[in-house]
Amino acid sequence: MNNKYDVIVIGGGHAGCEAAHAAHRKKLKTCLISISENSIGQMSCNPAIGGLGKTHLVKEIDAAGGIMAEATDASGIQYRTLNTRKGQTVRSLRVQCDRDKYKEAVQKIIKGTDIEVIEAEVEDIEIKKGKAEAVLLNSGKRINGEAIILTTGTFLKGVMYKGDKKTEGGRVGDKASIKLADKLYSLKLPMGRLKTGTPARIKLTSLDLENMEEQPGEEPTPWMSKKGKNTKHIKQISCYITRTNTETHKEISDNIKKSAMYSGNIVGIGPRYCPSIEDKIHKFPLKESHQIFIEPEGVDVDLVYPNGISTSLPEENQKRFIQTIKGMESAEITEYGYAVEYDFVDPRALNKTLELIDVENLYLAGQINGTTGYEEAAAQGLMAGVNASLKICKEESLILERHDGYIGVLIDDLINLGVTEPYRMFTSRAEHRLMFSQDNAEQRLTEKFYKKGFVESEQYNRYSKQEEAYKNFKKLNEAKTISAENKNQKLRDFLKKPNPDLKKIAKLIETEDQENLERLANECKYEGYIKKQLREIKRNEKSLKKHIPIEINFTEIQGLSAEVKERLSTSRPKTIGDASRLEGVTPAAISLITVAIAKKNK
Amino acid sequence: MSIIYALATPPAQSAICVFRVSGEGCLDALSKLFSSELVEPRYFYKTEMLNNGAFIDSVAVVFFKGPKSFTGEDSFEVYAHGGLAVMSKIVEVFDAIGFEEAQPGEFSKRAFLNNKISLSQAEAVSDLISASSKEEASRVSLVLGGDFESRVFDFSGQLDALRVLVEGEIDFTDEDEVFIQNLAGLGADVSRLSAEFCSFAGACSSRKDRFNKPRVLIAGPPNSGKSSLFNSLLSRDRSIVSSIAGTTRDLIDSELVLQNIVLTLGDSAGVRDTDDLIEGAGINISFDEIKKSDLVILVFDEETESSVSFFRELLGEQKYLLVYNKIDVSDKRPLGFDLFVSAKEMDGLNELRKILDERLSVDEIEDLTYLVRERHINIFSEVSSRLDFVSSSIEANESLDVVAENLKACRDLLAEVVGIKTSDELLGEIFSSFCIGK
Repeated sequence: MNNKYDVIVIGGGHAGCEAAHAAHRKKLKTCLISISENSIGQMSCNPAIGGLGKTHLVKEIDAAGGIMAEATDASGIQYRTLNTRKGQTVRSLRVQCDRDKYKEAVQKIIKGTDIEVIEAEVEDIEIKKGKAEAVLLNSGKRINGEAIILTTGTFLKGVMYKGDKKTEGGRVGDKASIKLADKLYSLKLPMGRLKTGTPARIKLTSLDLENMEEQPGEEPTPWMSKKGKNTKHIKQISCYITRTNTETHKEISDNIKKSAMYSGNIVGIGPRYCPSIEDKIHKFPLKESHQIFIEPEGVDVDLVYPNGISTSLPEENQKRFIQTIKGMESAEITEYGYAVEYDFVDPRALNKTLELIDVENLYLAGQINGTTGYEEAAAQGLMAGVNASLKICKEESLILERHDGYIGVLIDDLINLGVTEPYRMFTSRAEHRLMFSQDNAEQRLTEKFYKKGFVESEQYNRYSKQEEAYKNFKKLNEAKTISAENKNQKLRDFLKKPNPDLKKIAKLIETEDQENLERLANECKYEGYIKKQLREIKRNEKSLKKHIPIEINFTEIQGLSAEVKERLSTSRPKTIGDASRLEGVTPAAISLITVAIAKKNK
Repeated sequence: MSIIYALATPPAQSAICVFRVSGEGCLDALSKLFSSELVEPRYFYKTEMLNNGAFIDSVAVVFFKGPKSFTGEDSFEVYAHGGLAVMSKIVEVFDAIGFEEAQPGEFSKRAFLNNKISLSQAEAVSDLISASSKEEASRVSLVLGGDFESRVFDFSGQLDALRVLVEGEIDFTDEDEVFIQNLAGLGADVSRLSAEFCSFAGACSSRKDRFNKPRVLIAGPPNSGKSSLFNSLLSRDRSIVSSIAGTTRDLIDSELVLQNIVLTLGDSAGVRDTDDLIEGAGINISFDEIKKSDLVILVFDEETESSVSFFRELLGEQKYLLVYNKIDVSDKRPLGFDLFVSAKEMDGLNELRKILDERLSVDEIEDLTYLVRERHINIFSEVSSRLDFVSSSIEANESLDVVAENLKACRDLLAEVVGIKTSDELLGEIFSSFCIGK
């Protein structure tokens, strides 16, 4: 262990690993400090990667040189593409992973680099004159760093609830880091409290799978990563679907007062899209049955994650309601469900680079910023790692805008709007959704990250070759005229129609390159919309990018309503564009801010 | 920065009105907008303002090259006649070539940003923006008053409800909820909404048209000089005038521009007992036209004066003016007539114009809201045609991501009236009406 690094990453979750790996790709001296070396890359919730909006994030991380997709492919046991018939831009590949193999894959990737992994507890971050300089370990050792990236998840005042039982800590088996938490509180950052929950874990062999609906993966099995590092899938297995019934609901309703969530113990705000089974039954009493996904924890692991029944009921009630469910009558529970409540830092305290506005060189990424999900955490880790590295190298920062992709939307939403519930990505959050598909992440990002030194040449060369091949395909075929529907038409015009029959077209233009044909078809289909959006983006670019100086005191701007003043003051928008996306901010308010800026500048 | 325009004088009847236009590239439009070439900046030119070559008004124009202008940008000013009809036409023309209506205080703001006015003046600018934005707000709410407003909110609510289903179907595809039973049903819903919106937009613009152009019909017994009056009012030879009874076979409409309003003037076929079949058809039209008109000018002369009571009965509740024509050949001034004119000698016509202007002008509130209205109606028509496009694209099997985009675009258009719908609010509606999540 040295006593000086360029980048110090605290926390070895999905955000921490991406952050450290990005710094490593930039060839900076990096260390990753984790309380437990063995839990690096741990999936702490359900063992799956991807989903609507989330897959887009993973693909973007991959295109930027990150590791999440690669680790997914090393551990994927069931692949399914969602939304196959709703348009290419909203198609999403979701992968069930072997929980242990995922962690192993991440650890293997990290160990394959010169990132130094340090198993220790961080007790303090030293800040001098508003700049973070070093971390202090529980061993008493002091380590200096040019940048410190904090990715410690839910460790801030984490409390677990199960019925009336209350335990401190963010995750079963992990101790909470009290001293570091105290340090963070002493910085007087704006904080909020959130909650989340998990279901019980059940032995696979105790389930009657014959009585459930089997859901096999798709064939041929696709890949999450485009890097081509994995060449062979591990064993593929099925997931299963079962449902709750009226008996289940009765057991839960009868005991709902015993649930930590309903006893008034928990004040944190839970996600609206991830309710506990208690919530579902309470809020939708007319629904007689809820779906449960039985997700295997691994290939040779006797454990499943029953997705859909997260709960904070006492143990005996959990067992009773679970055993009313079809196929789960003799379920053996290895670990009971619980709710977790934790503090997070209001991400409006961050810059676009995820560096704290008030503490230079200290970056926050992941769940600590109020997000939920591995993918959301990893995306932030990547961007914090990238921008901390660029700052150390004295290069211009790399900011992804809302029209660059889902990562841009994620960070922009966080730092401008803050969070009111654990933030999860959905495709509907992206106003330029038709510009981003899981298949065009490379075209949007790889060049950008390669130029800054975050994409390795092997990946970039493969990408360049692929683009070259597409260019040639396009040149060769684009102008072809085909005769279909009793008339001759240009291939381009034909592809623009809804749902063109690509197999038929492939025959007509005599190609076997379905992949590039599909790409061309999608290009033709979305082209008009994308052009229109790009025009709009360009038209507003200059005014929206106008920087709002930090000295601007919104409360002093005459003519703004009290409500708008308050919203602007808490959100601290960095540009005119950011301000204009806030609720209640009218064009007239934007005018007043512009005038105020000009006044300051004179 | 974009090219902006604003009416610098109050949006009410006055001798002249002044429009200001500012923004880089605005001078390129001069040759299209005015009939003569404008050569020198800061010179006053008398010229004609045109709409695609068609005459709007005799105006004076002066243009400025930036930075030597109030805003510091290229700009020009138009001095037109101060009638509301003329103002409305000019707004229409500016909108059509892509100029944007200025935000409150925007001219002053640009002037300040371009260092054309001082710091103390800038304080006044802030006040101006906040004060006039309030005024703007109340103006918009006036326009949208009553059922108008609630209907727009209702439509945007229906649109949001459809978007909840479409976005839910996209983002929560693996959930245990059915958002869209079948696409045909969705298509039908969009198509129904489109039809409703279309009739709403139609109703708005017919309100607008009625407001813009009241219909006035000239009617009366044959050969009383209706067509002569019609032509004299318009000062041109529009319909064939002859002394043979019943020559006006077709109804001829024309625009009559008065000081405050533009009205549609119609000349009817003579109403009389006739067995001339063509003429008979003409009379049928006349009866219909009478019903549709806001005001009827009943024209009589010495020979036909006796039929006044017949026509009065015919008109019933309809508003009318009784005009006694041909005073150049008759000295009689029978009782009960509103006006005595000679269409042939143009005698009494100015008085007739004045009466028409007064009777058909609208009240104060409508005056104020006049200019805001156009923009909203344009938005509604656009939404309706886009919805149409969405429903036909669903029928053509378009993918849901594209359908969602077009629905969102429709909703964005309404944002100006009912405010934006953030994606988070939309998600909130999904979560509250559907059981989502594992």
